[in-house]
Amino acid sequence: MSTPLQVYEPFKAGLPKLGRYWKSLWSRRTFIKEYSKSELREQHFDSVFGQLWLVLNPLLLSGVYFILIVIIGGATDSQRYAHLTASLFLFYLVANSLTGGVKSITAGQRLILNTAFPRIMLPISALVIAIFKFLPTLIVFVVIKAIVGSPFAVEMLWAIPVLLITIFLALGLAITISCINVYFRDIASFLPYLTRTLLYLSPILYLPSDIKPSLRAIEIFNPLFPILDSWSRAMVQGQAPELSSMLQSLAWATGIFFIGTYFFLSREREFAVRL
Amino acid sequence: MSSLSASKAHLTNELAVSIRGVGLTYTTSIDKKPTLKSRAKSLGRGKKQTRVVRALDDVNLDIQYGHVLGIIGTNGAGKSSLMRCVAGILPPSQGRIEVFGSVSTLLALGVGFNPSMSGRDNVFLGGLAAGMSREEIAGNFDEIADFSELGEAIDAPMRTYSSGMYARLAFSVAAVVRPDILIIDEALSTGDAKFKEKSLNRVKELRGDDRALILVSHAMGTLRDTCNDVAWLHKGKLIQRGEPDVVIDAYQEFLHLGKSAAIDEDV
Repeated sequence: MSTPLQVYEPFKAGLPKLGRYWKSLWSRRTFIKEYSKSELREQHFDSVFGQLWLVLNPLLLSGVYFILIVIIGGATDSQRYAHLTASLFLFYLVANSLTGGVKSITAGQRLILNTAFPRIMLPISALVIAIFKFLPTLIVFVVIKAIVGSPFAVEMLWAIPVLLITIFLALGLAITISCINVYFRDIASFLPYLTRTLLYLSPILYLPSDIKPSLRAIEIFNPLFPILDSWSRAMVQGQAPELSSMLQSLAWATGIFFIGTYFFLSREREFAVRL
Repeated sequence: MSSLSASKAHLTNELAVSIRGVGLTYTTSIDKKPTLKSRAKSLGRGKKQTRVVRALDDVNLDIQYGHVLGIIGTNGAGKSSLMRCVAGILPPSQGRIEVFGSVSTLLALGVGFNPSMSGRDNVFLGGLAAGMSREEIAGNFDEIADFSELGEAIDAPMRTYSSGMYARLAFSVAAVVRPDILIIDEALSTGDAKFKEKSLNRVKELRGDDRALILVSHAMGTLRDTCNDVAWLHKGKLIQRGEPDVVIDAYQEFLHLGKSAAIDEDV
């Protein structure tokens, strides 16, 4: 008798065989690409006005927040506007992967009930979509930076590792929240409050140095704080970020990714009965 | 996870799927949608949020290539759960399932996980998720579109489809990709008479191809006509397996309906 292609046996709580899982995931990488493309097409980002909106939307957002800063009496120089846009755009990369990730599993119900595939593909696709939405804003920022006369320096290249850490963190968050939403469906409704809170707790509308010493705790417990600090230093001021901030960001991203992925992988085989 | 590209020729009577002592138990929430709010509300009341469902109990079943196995049983008998186990969607809680070939599933829901995307996008995404390559799907796509007879509707969002159109596209995908093992779960029943006949012919054609087919259906007439074997599940247990006429007669007797028109109604 030939050897079986597939054997399905009961699983004890824990991880599936990671080598096989990874192979299976890698062989389906085209799905992630195509899914993100179709999703963007569905949101009309393949049309001229759709792409214009991708640029216009963050510009309008940064405009609105800049008005807010002016009204509450913060500094209103051009550097401050550059800081606001740079941080806000990166923040939306994380926020979009959270909002895209939260329903990725529950919205993929039909596919999950009908096809065997590594479920983690769905939150990964949510991240890829968020990255595609982020890229045009990067160009917008460079234009803004040139207009406000902020200096371009070699140190801006530090933004690359910072961006990679951010993507890593966003991936971990998307995976974690997609899994939580299977068990608590109202997380999706809480999410706007969560992202809004994160926005205000992060150095976007203000500079990291503006924080009162009594509020230093938000610096320690907000994973985005060191990331946005490093990002703004590299992108706006053209300086190398502090090593401690980079390490702190990496620690957050790694922690969230591994805990979230462990949680997801050990649970994903029962998603089909939970949907 | 199965790859549909692994297809190769199989001999008649060669083992396709072996199901040994399979049991499936799972806990499901009582609420339709589990929420943090409902969990918080029931805190301290000691109310149980979940119930345990025993969907399958010590099921033993072999399926050979070149055979069509029909699965019958009342609603909630565990038919779909068993099919999901064979497809690798749900891991069994006990026992072991060995699958000797690629599996394509046409479970009740069919293709299309995003209704706002077009039929074409959904076919591609469904195929890619099942492990096919883009080229494989593109190579089969025209045949899928032709078989489904959807015409230009293939590029319309799937939310605009009628249930019949949905089922036609789903059947076309599953039948055209020519998997070693094809599982069809009550999906033959929504097309119109002409499409029904066409899909039944396709099923017979696939049987002639030395593939293994599993049909889950309430259409006893179709099962008598197409299957070599019928297995009857009841409350998660395999009650009887054998000649279609024998098992179906026993099942109908069990239902106290005899050969009434209601249950013999075709697909």
